[in-house]
Amino acid sequence: MTAAVDTLFDAAAPATSRRRPGIALLRTLFRGLAVAIPVVFIATFITYGLGSLSKFNPAAAVMGETATPADIKRMNHEFGLDRPFLVQYFSWLGHALRGDFGQSWFTRIPVSQSIEQRLPVSLSVAVGALLIAVVLGAAAGIGAALNKGGWFDRGVTVVCSVLSTIPGFVAAIALITIFAVSFPILPSGGYVPPSVNFGQWLKFLILPCTALSLEAAADLARQLRNGLVGTLRENYVTGAIVRGYSTRRVLFGHALRNGAGPALALLGLHIPRLIGGAVITETVFALPGLGQLAKDSALKGDVPVVQACLLVTIGLVLVSSLLVNIALKKLRPGSGRQE
Amino acid sequence: MVKKLRLGAAAVSASLLVVLAACGSGSGSAAAGGGGGSTLSWGWYLPSTWDPATSAIGQDVHALALAYAGLTKQDLKGNAVPALAKSWKYNANGTAVTFVLRPGLKFSDGTALDAAAVKFNIERGRDGKGTTIGDQLAEVTDVKVVNPTTVTLVLDKSDYQIPALLAGKTGMLVSPTAARKNSAGLSTKPVGAGPFILTDYVPDSHADLKRNPNYWDAKDIKLKNFVLKTAPDPSVAVAGLQSGQYDMAVIPPSQIQAAKAAGLKVDPITVLTVRTLDVNGKVAPFNNPKVMQAISHAINRKELVQTAFFGQGKPDWQPFPEGYVGYNPTLDNLYSYDQAEAKRLLADAGHPNGLSVDLWVSDASDAIAEVLQKQLSAVGIKVRLRVEQPGINNYITRQYPLALDSFSGRESPVQALTVLFGKQGLLNLGRYSNSAFDKALDKARATPLDSPNYPKALQAATAAGVKSMPNTFLFSWPRIFAYKSNVHGLQNWTGTERFEGVTVQ
Amino acid sequence: MSTFRRAWQLRPAKISVVILAAIVVLVAFGHLLAPMDPLQQHDGQILKGPSAHFWLGTDYLGRDVLSRLIYGSTLSVLTALEAVGIAFGLGVLPGLASVYLGRPFEWVSQRVMDGLMALPFIIFAIAVAALLGNGLHQAMFAVGVLMAPGFFRITRAAAWSFNRAQYVEAAQLLGASPWRIIRKHIWNKVLPTVAIATANHIAGALLIVSSLTFLGIGVVPPTPTWGGLLASDLNYLAQQRWAPVAPALLIMITVGALNVFADAIRDSSDDGALKDATKRRRLGESRNVATAR
Repeated sequence: MTAAVDTLFDAAAPATSRRRPGIALLRTLFRGLAVAIPVVFIATFITYGLGSLSKFNPAAAVMGETATPADIKRMNHEFGLDRPFLVQYFSWLGHALRGDFGQSWFTRIPVSQSIEQRLPVSLSVAVGALLIAVVLGAAAGIGAALNKGGWFDRGVTVVCSVLSTIPGFVAAIALITIFAVSFPILPSGGYVPPSVNFGQWLKFLILPCTALSLEAAADLARQLRNGLVGTLRENYVTGAIVRGYSTRRVLFGHALRNGAGPALALLGLHIPRLIGGAVITETVFALPGLGQLAKDSALKGDVPVVQACLLVTIGLVLVSSLLVNIALKKLRPGSGRQE
Repeated sequence: MVKKLRLGAAAVSASLLVVLAACGSGSGSAAAGGGGGSTLSWGWYLPSTWDPATSAIGQDVHALALAYAGLTKQDLKGNAVPALAKSWKYNANGTAVTFVLRPGLKFSDGTALDAAAVKFNIERGRDGKGTTIGDQLAEVTDVKVVNPTTVTLVLDKSDYQIPALLAGKTGMLVSPTAARKNSAGLSTKPVGAGPFILTDYVPDSHADLKRNPNYWDAKDIKLKNFVLKTAPDPSVAVAGLQSGQYDMAVIPPSQIQAAKAAGLKVDPITVLTVRTLDVNGKVAPFNNPKVMQAISHAINRKELVQTAFFGQGKPDWQPFPEGYVGYNPTLDNLYSYDQAEAKRLLADAGHPNGLSVDLWVSDASDAIAEVLQKQLSAVGIKVRLRVEQPGINNYITRQYPLALDSFSGRESPVQALTVLFGKQGLLNLGRYSNSAFDKALDKARATPLDSPNYPKALQAATAAGVKSMPNTFLFSWPRIFAYKSNVHGLQNWTGTERFEGVTVQ
Repeated sequence: MSTFRRAWQLRPAKISVVILAAIVVLVAFGHLLAPMDPLQQHDGQILKGPSAHFWLGTDYLGRDVLSRLIYGSTLSVLTALEAVGIAFGLGVLPGLASVYLGRPFEWVSQRVMDGLMALPFIIFAIAVAALLGNGLHQAMFAVGVLMAPGFFRITRAAAWSFNRAQYVEAAQLLGASPWRIIRKHIWNKVLPTVAIATANHIAGALLIVSSLTFLGIGVVPPTPTWGGLLASDLNYLAQQRWAPVAPALLIMITVGALNVFADAIRDSSDDGALKDATKRRRLGESRNVATAR
């Protein structure tokens, strides 16, 4: 998706934009849509197709063998499952884009209601993890670069390497064992909306967000460290130091500006994983989020809910990719066509 | 510059988070109404639905009892005692029972809880769409409203079990107004007359409830708020209790040691739960009774309890624990652990070289299933374990002919036997009946509870069911609660868990 | 090929290769190496600590942990390889082809890969496993399909940067077919990049397999798997504080060795493109393309 949206901005050559900015913008938009729309269709098609392929249907789910063939036919008709596949797909997609995800086969609760209840949780966790990843990763990466060759640098390198080998649930359980059991400072799981109790909300989020952020933080730290080490060696840095600028000014003024782009791109790659991959974290910390909903529904065979969760996650991933790419474009307007 | 701002913002927000978190309120309980008054967080099983008439899981009764009340309830030993009704009386031959309601009762939406409401509920349970208690109420041919506080149930046969039956899910009363307006909505928005009122519900996550001041026994409900959360995963159960996520939670036997070491109180309560093998006796190879008998002989129940359950249980060959009125002592060791006998029975049934069966389990790490697999392989029965989610679905879809399950008992022993062995019983996967059993059950049903013949008649029915049906019982097991020392007033309820008199300090 | 030879000189690479070779031996010959039957429940030996008889102790049913760990390696590693194999097949060939087969194919394949990349890994794998049959193979097939875009982009970027080399232009002018160009000129140059991606993806797939089996997906008791072992270990932490360490360490060491191996190849590549940080960004993927939490 990163590449796809990149073409959104790479489309017009500089010469064209100088002469006819209006047309160039239109062309950019058109090209961008031409790229994004098929992606949406493909991803959602796969999602809906998955449900169709499964052996589940509403009658079997709720009534099973006590259902007569007439019952099965009736329930399938009720849920619109006897229409041709493409009709179903477009109808589902159309409704979904308007916020109607259908009903759960089991409870008849509108799926949008469940999504509404759980989306804030997943977002809280994802955003929190992102923030922590940025803070930890940046601190470690910059510190290591400044301390190149020293004990901090070596320590950070080792820790980062180790962190990228730890499975997510191991990190989660380890955090619980240390911070909730051995030293009971933080809760081992659960969730409270910020509107009910803001302080509790934060408390519940600290451990899961940290567990989820470790991988991205390690990646970011390593990336920043390597990038900064390279940049700090460059001539213009030496020149700046010779001219008397403080290390801090050099660092923040020049080096980090260059390092920001790749770092952002890296985070952009991690965001889908934070949004869609938090199932383990949610399970271990008993957070009522989208991931857990998707998992429980999939195991029950509640197809509409699974499809809706996938759809919402896809949407979040696409939106975040778009935002990241816009930010990247701002940072390095001169980058050429990627692929 | 951009990067600097970004980093700076991140650092500021991060420190802000830390400061705010530190200022967050101390205790771990997450009551909907905020801290203050006493709140109990209970880690237990959320109900499959908040509508008592469509619930298909026995366990639901504990959660439902928070929001609903019935004409009767269970005492500590599981016997029916007055609740919304203050008394009842049978006619001479047990074919009609009259209940007298307490005056001035109301549902949580203000609707009057009177005889008409009782009539509505019984008819809804008996005839409503999607009801799972229709079978149990089929014998109620008529409900007569004598006056607003007196209602008579007319039965088509002699049945003294009605007060016990109504002490559970079957007798829970929903508001007629709510049911008429939106019957399906009751599955997520209960409207009852129970000790608590539901204020928020996130399926598969938690339910928030607050005390119902109009509950008939409100003076005994000391808790202001109640939070029901999904039972914790065993690996984090004790951590959850220690860190305040739960005040009280159900734990498996494997966590007893950890709970005690963490300073929690641990209560194994003798209840009616029994581990079983649900069997569809119409599906080969289980259509030959000798096969299930062979399996039963091949199982070493004592080893099962010791190895897979840390000794927290008692081998059982029937659906009731020892000491319960329906427990028939002659059934003890009915199918003794005898591998030679098992092999002989298998050969008799036409499987001299063994057999291959699939056993469905709902939990991948269920030690019981693995021990069973080992025990059965010793007599030539090769068991393939399949992890799916039988549970509620299998009672209705019956797609798994052999499943490892647990029976959670019922308020009325006759009802329990019906659910297990009756023609429409949920746990009777084959949905077929046995006339000898039916006759014995009817006899037990028609015997008054205070008659000296009652225990014998009931136990005869138990024996008839156990001997003629393929359901195999493994062992009875306790309900184990771990709770913090600031929870007071918990009692050992054989049946439905109740919270009268419970406080959290 | 000189890249690999140079990589081998580095010490980290030597260590990681040795470790990986040991894992391979474990996977291939585990059933011969395991001291006991992993399914055998020894009476009265429940949750015992390490001893002379049971080197890593016993589990909740009295089974030898070491034997279960060894047997579990086979299933976990093979399914991870399965997923990467699928990803390789679905990603590398289209990646190369997209550079040479003209704009329509390029556009279509790019959009398909973008679409796949928008799907969340673990949730999708769970959905596939649950809805299409609770098998680990179904789940890993889904994971393989979702990993394909990573291979696609890496291969494509590597091939693209070589596409403009003069000798390729010369070959095209001389009329060589795309396949011949790929085979003769591009493949050897692309190989190190692909090798790095493969190693990283195997590492990622192993972590995913562990996560899925931890959640219970695709686990057929009593067959041991790395994640499944960890999951049941966590239920008995009170009785065996150190039980999760063995499977966790095994996962971490294997994943770490793969990452170090990939790094060694990258560091000794003679292609300036691989070392240049800018180009590395354009290639798109660092090692963690496939891991998920």
